[in-house]
Amino acid sequence: MENSEGTPCVELRNVVKGFPGVTAVDHVSLKVEQGKIFSLLGPSGCGKTTTLRLVAGFETLDEGDVLIDNKVVNDIPAHKRNCSTVFQTLALFPHMTVEENIAYGLERRKFPKDEIKNRVGEALELMQLSGMGKRRPSQLSGGQRQRVALARSLVLRPRILLLDEPLASLDRKLRKEMQTEVRQIQQEVGITFLYVTHDQKEALSISDTIAVMGKGRLEQVGTPNEIYETPRTMFIADFMGATNIFLGKAITSGSREVQLESEDGLRVIATKNKDIRNEEIAGISVHPERIEVLPEGTDLEADNKFRGKIAEMNYQGDFTEVKICLNHVDRFITVHLSNEPGQNARFSLGEGVLLCWSRHSSNILIG
Amino acid sequence: MKSLTGKTLLAIATLTYLFMWVPAIMVIVFSFSNDKLGVRWEGFTLRWYSEIFSNVAVRDAFGMSLTVAVITVVVSTAVGTLAAYGLYKYKFRGREALRMSLLLPIIMPAVITGGALLVFFTRVLNVPLGYPSILIAHISFGTPLAIFIILGRMARIDWSLEEASADLGADRLTTWRKITIPVLLPAIIASAILIFPWSFGDFTITFFVAGAGDTTLPIYVFSALRFGETAAINAISTIFVALPVAFLLLMGFYKRKK
Repeated sequence: MENSEGTPCVELRNVVKGFPGVTAVDHVSLKVEQGKIFSLLGPSGCGKTTTLRLVAGFETLDEGDVLIDNKVVNDIPAHKRNCSTVFQTLALFPHMTVEENIAYGLERRKFPKDEIKNRVGEALELMQLSGMGKRRPSQLSGGQRQRVALARSLVLRPRILLLDEPLASLDRKLRKEMQTEVRQIQQEVGITFLYVTHDQKEALSISDTIAVMGKGRLEQVGTPNEIYETPRTMFIADFMGATNIFLGKAITSGSREVQLESEDGLRVIATKNKDIRNEEIAGISVHPERIEVLPEGTDLEADNKFRGKIAEMNYQGDFTEVKICLNHVDRFITVHLSNEPGQNARFSLGEGVLLCWSRHSSNILIG
Repeated sequence: MKSLTGKTLLAIATLTYLFMWVPAIMVIVFSFSNDKLGVRWEGFTLRWYSEIFSNVAVRDAFGMSLTVAVITVVVSTAVGTLAAYGLYKYKFRGREALRMSLLLPIIMPAVITGGALLVFFTRVLNVPLGYPSILIAHISFGTPLAIFIILGRMARIDWSLEEASADLGADRLTTWRKITIPVLLPAIIASAILIFPWSFGDFTITFFVAGAGDTTLPIYVFSALRFGETAAINAISTIFVALPVAFLLLMGFYKRKK
């Protein structure tokens, strides 16, 4: 069925879902564009998995509507919806071979036997699993099991693929490889992906659109760039790693920039869009990598300049996380110093430094 | 490991095993002895074996025990699987109380269960003593056993398997048939393996609820012992030691082949 321009593949309209004692999904409305990877990102308990399960049909909603291809599917049971889920535990049938697992959905749809055989063969090839067909899931590696789970769902050519933290159980290296594979597979197959994750780096690297959720509510929807560079709320800023947060009030502003006075009396400058009103501004956040660290005595012009002493240094491999305690103020600024040879002057604990960043690196937070 | 503690441990272990097995070994040995009482060695013979195979009473008792055990296993595992599934997956009032109450048949002393059931069958309901009463008694014990074994396994299963099956287009019944039961099969078989010997060999409860003329094999052995026909008992017992041992050996062999 062809999707007309602009019709979202999946849409949620004011969806509410509660469990005893907690509202897991609190009036969430969103549109998932056809053919893209849309991620639901947030900490544990934010409602992202429940939202996914509402689309899949494993949970019934209390209020609102779920639409797939512009059709309300609230009352359609999971096994009749045209979407397929990849579970966090992968849920590969342990008593069946890889081939039987992949063929399962096709058999349920009463596909003829040779068609099934063809499709399974294709899927095995696409996922680089040729020759593994007769193995059992317990005889496969983590990455191979991932691919079987993907193949099992994709072979049905669903309208939308739902993925519930599918890479959560993999080690770091494998996870990075699989992230690239997932993106490649999606581009080859062209199916819409709805992806749930708590890992912001993962979301940033694979998504076309990210929806950040917190406590059942949708906090912000945007491209990875928008979410990272311009987080709207303190919650998002903190979650995305922009851990230097200055809460306060806007005191002066031009049309393109604003100066904020923080609660502890610091002045921070940020660029802003015309359509943000001063009253809305609750604070400013800065990513650790955007702050420059210079020797104390350096004389330099900069939008934002502060002096302090290095309190902590944590080696992280390609960068060092450095915490600086500002002079005169009880506040720590977190900075990432690159460890590439020749990048930065060497600093040591207790050393006095100058921190600076431009107004373009400051993100405005809405209250 | 020829240290003193090693040797002592070996000695203790050997003594323990001997203590456990000597009665059984004696029974086996004397089943081949040409002694009517089966307690002295009077020369090798196979006559007790041929006697029990031609003894109609023994055959009937064996038949009854086998029938009861098979029916008990089938009903207990079937009901037990469904019950365990309901207890595990559905939340309802009194669930915990129900779960706890299932322990009762297992922990109550057999004599009390037997006595209570006899009163129940004869005074409260009018259940004929014999196959009906014995079957009810056995199933009442076997089902809770099956439920607990299967419940135990259910706690270790990844239930997203059922969701995955539904997600791929299977309705409830198909999921049950193709995914749930196969995944539960090890537990179902485990409970069958436990219930069968229990049912086949149960004496106390069966003795209470069996009618005057109904003899299961354990009851036959009991009666025969009282009448002094001990040699035949040795033969029967030997067979019932040999069978499970052979079964276990087969299982071990099969596992090693895999």
